[in-house]
Amino acid sequence: MSSRLQNLMQKQDVILNAICLLLATFFFILALSNLRWAGNFLTIDSLFMTAVCLMLAGVFMINPALWAHEHGLFAAEEKGAAPAVDLHFEGTTKLFLAVLGGLLGMTLVEVLLAYFKVPLELMLTILLGLSIIKAALIVAYFMHLRFERISLMLTLVPMLVVCICLLLIFFPDSFRLNKMRTYNQPPTTTTHE
Amino acid sequence: MSTHAEVETAVTADWGGGTLPYRIGHKKLGMWLFIVSDALTFSALLIGYSYARLASNQWPTPFKFSPSILFSTTMTLCLLSSSFTMVMAVKASAHGNRRAARRWIGGTMLGGLLFLVLHLYEWNHLISEGLKPFSLPKEWLERWPQASPLFGATFFAITGLHMFHVFTGFCYLGIVALTIRKRTHEDVEVSGLYWHFVDLVWMFVFPMIYLLSVDFKG
Repeated sequence: MSSRLQNLMQKQDVILNAICLLLATFFFILALSNLRWAGNFLTIDSLFMTAVCLMLAGVFMINPALWAHEHGLFAAEEKGAAPAVDLHFEGTTKLFLAVLGGLLGMTLVEVLLAYFKVPLELMLTILLGLSIIKAALIVAYFMHLRFERISLMLTLVPMLVVCICLLLIFFPDSFRLNKMRTYNQPPTTTTHE
Repeated sequence: MSTHAEVETAVTADWGGGTLPYRIGHKKLGMWLFIVSDALTFSALLIGYSYARLASNQWPTPFKFSPSILFSTTMTLCLLSSSFTMVMAVKASAHGNRRAARRWIGGTMLGGLLFLVLHLYEWNHLISEGLKPFSLPKEWLERWPQASPLFGATFFAITGLHMFHVFTGFCYLGIVALTIRKRTHEDVEVSGLYWHFVDLVWMFVFPMIYLLSVDFKG
């Protein structure tokens, strides 16, 4: 019974990993071909498409990567079994100071962007990129998620990222609203008291 | 026929763990789940703000680099350094040094308080200029005649909710610091998680509300 079950699980693993890898490749190719098709790469539409495709490819890669990790493909990182309940605290003052320094540095860059009055769209892209890096640093080191079990991170983070990305579905509507308004009305100042 | 147990051992490698599946206590897991839901609240608000801004013909960009942006940068520094002191508090508590943990938490609360005072001062300044949730000051309307009146609504809603979180965190940390003798290390760590989350939210509010509204012509 035991060996049959193990066989079954192995087959399941192989099929699941194959499907995941296939889908990941598909989305990766879609992202690349989107880059080719889009004439101007730095538009919001194109960036959105690329980001969504890459994200989906990444999500589908999680399962094969975990499987590979379990089967010792990245075994160099593992050192012995972890204790049942982790109460000790990792990270030194030096590490936290370095993280703080990084956060302050990135804030400084952001403020400098405002000082030099970089064009709005470019500024938005850079600001969001830097903010995501800063958020990742805070979550990983200050909130200690890097030192927790990987299953906790996998439970909390991908779900949150997908939900937030789903909220982006509203943006085409806001563009439409904006165009509708300027198309139909000549600009007036009387609409606002 | 103990297939159930066999399946369980087969998946134990990464996802098992019996009563502690994530190898953390239930309080900490609860705080993490709360943080996830709160992160969704804030991202919905920020995306609502972006929606209103993109759907408007014109959006006021009233914050002059000096003093407005420099002022809010100071607030950011307060919050970032208070996050650092909170990490040190958790570290001290992990080493069993409760006195040091209390002192570091005190430093964190000081940073939070400074942030609150500066923020309220700024709100007061904007309100006295004439900014209200659904109307803009007269001078702004002269400069941006088609500007959306939703500026005030988004500004006060987002920074107000964040300010409320800072205030709540301030009270929470105060309680933890006062009763630190009865607290376990986990309690201190959980309060730290909340405080870092407040800091994390500001890392998105500050660029999106302040830096993107910098006065591009002034």
